Amino acid sequence: MAHMTYIEAIRSAMLDAMTEDESVIVLGEDVALKGGVFLATEGLLERFGERRVIDTPIAEISVVGLAIGASLHGLKPVAEIQFADYILPAIDQILNEAALFRYRSNGDWHCPIVVRAPFGAGIHGGLYHSQSSEALFTSTPGLKVVIPSTPHDAKGLLIAAIRDPDPVIFFEHKQLYRTVRGEVPDGTYTVPIGKAAIARSGTDLSLFTYGLMTHYSLSAAEQIAQEGINVEVIDLRTLYPLDKAAILESVRRTGKALIVHEDNLTGGIGGEIGALIAEHAFEYLDGPVRRLASPDVPPVAFNDDLEMGYMLNPAKIMAAIRDLAAY
Amino acid sequence: MTENNSPVILDTLPRHEALGLSTDQVLAALRGMMLARAVDDRLWLLARQGKAHFVITPAGHEAAQFGCAWAIRAGHDYVVPYYRDMALAMALGQTPLDMLRHAMGKPGDPASGGRQMFGHFSSRALRIVSGSSSVGSHPVHAVGLALAFRAKGETDIAAITFFGEGATAEGAWHEAINFAGIHQLPVVFVCENNQYAISMHQRKEVPVPDVATKAAGYGMPGLIVDGNDIFAVYEAAQAAMIRARSGDGPTLLECKTYRYRPHSNADNDMKYRTAEEVAEWRERDPIKRLERYCLDQQLTTSEQIALDETAIRSEVDQATVAAEQTPNPLSDSLFDHLYGEA
Repeated sequence: MAHMTYIEAIRSAMLDAMTEDESVIVLGEDVALKGGVFLATEGLLERFGERRVIDTPIAEISVVGLAIGASLHGLKPVAEIQFADYILPAIDQILNEAALFRYRSNGDWHCPIVVRAPFGAGIHGGLYHSQSSEALFTSTPGLKVVIPSTPHDAKGLLIAAIRDPDPVIFFEHKQLYRTVRGEVPDGTYTVPIGKAAIARSGTDLSLFTYGLMTHYSLSAAEQIAQEGINVEVIDLRTLYPLDKAAILESVRRTGKALIVHEDNLTGGIGGEIGALIAEHAFEYLDGPVRRLASPDVPPVAFNDDLEMGYMLNPAKIMAAIRDLAAY
Repeated sequence: MTENNSPVILDTLPRHEALGLSTDQVLAALRGMMLARAVDDRLWLLARQGKAHFVITPAGHEAAQFGCAWAIRAGHDYVVPYYRDMALAMALGQTPLDMLRHAMGKPGDPASGGRQMFGHFSSRALRIVSGSSSVGSHPVHAVGLALAFRAKGETDIAAITFFGEGATAEGAWHEAINFAGIHQLPVVFVCENNQYAISMHQRKEVPVPDVATKAAGYGMPGLIVDGNDIFAVYEAAQAAMIRARSGDGPTLLECKTYRYRPHSNADNDMKYRTAEEVAEWRERDPIKRLERYCLDQQLTTSEQIALDETAIRSEVDQATVAAEQTPNPLSDSLFDHLYGEA
């Protein structure tokens, strides 16, 4: 067991997975010599050589397309997109190719790739280094979309994603990279894809969230407990397929649901969770399903004040909890 | 060079022997091309009868596809085809029944189990890689396969990918061939240039007369052959595959050809080309050309070819009946093969 940051856990996952299985390769822009713009792949080139740690041109269609092709011959490629904002050129490869290989070939082929991408705001990244891109991928059968919030889950879920026989989009919140530390087991282990976690047990209200917002929500929940409001925080961890059972089980206990995400309000995963609860837990509710999300403006202005105005924070989450708890 | 762009053979060997091809191989290719054409004709008939929702076929491209197939070790080298490659899939081992089931969306369709429109050929056993309908999205998979050969330290294997000249306008095509050139990977890019991307003539898709000249910018040789001359195609494809398998890098091979049918059964080609132009290319039919060669070289006889034609018609008839009698997929298979066992 080691105490490490979120990004060290990501790096440790790739290091251990590559050590354990020589079919695992890493590719992307700047991943080899530089070790990635965030240094997530630092040291892998020295350890595994240029056949397995591959610098690609700044050309995202090929980053993902090459990974797909390599996976067809038994490799398990981990492709890095430098920022989630730049996953868009590769979207045809992800949605039309990787996600459909198994289905369109009636199970003859499959495509075990991982696409890692740092996402999220709060690092003064402006409009093109701050985006939350997950909603683009959470309505495509054949894909899995994973977003860990802790170092432990980051390593375990990334190893699970690498071992998974199907394509996994793995979003890492870049603000967590060096701000969150935690205990991480040595060697390989997995955290199951498709399973949410109860990050904090509570009885009055279920708060569903993921990524950086898990930490903000936990902070809000701790503070608001002093006001006598006992919040259950569910860290979704996988956005597609959603852990519907965990969501419904929690809300049936608490009777209230608040969904918190950094992604824009409209089209974010909150709408899907709200609909799920309305369809399957309506009679358990004693208040409206509420969503707290970033406003429907592009993420996110470069200016400090504008960035703070866009971003959620524990105080905004506490206000939303208070409001719903009082309903 | 001859008018067919094939090298002049200085000795007196017949062309196929000079290329190391046996009489059996040549006759098998002739019969295979005739069979592919017969399936092609049947598919258009079935489309008109409403029995196949969609057809898109290779008539006119048979020499380009069979010539390349001679250079491919089926089930060993990877093949990443496009929608025009039915004759290629058949040359590699798929059958008329496979094609008819694929066209009718029946169980037993080896490409997709009735999920994909016709033209998405696939067989893992034959290493024919499944594709989407998104034009130009697939050559990068061939390059990724070639990258995998290198990562695993495998030699004596190559990937070969096929596309039309229209696909070379796609960004994904550029990214694929760019990476192959940078790393000199074992992959062969085959452009079946039939001059039309649906209605659009090559001059609206490609800024140069020959797609093969693009190769220079990607650090690889570009070859141009008469795509209706099976021997010229084979000679170039074989050289390119040997070059790739030997670790000497990629090749862009352009086969100049023509499609005889409209783009698909949803197209009216008379809106963008003339009957005279089609007729002119029909005169250069690659199957008739090989047939003439076989007769000239006395590899077969007109009587034998007539017998073959009869046998082929019967084979396609039987395959049509078998495909039509194949029950439709049960609707509960809708959810099969969405994910594997994690």
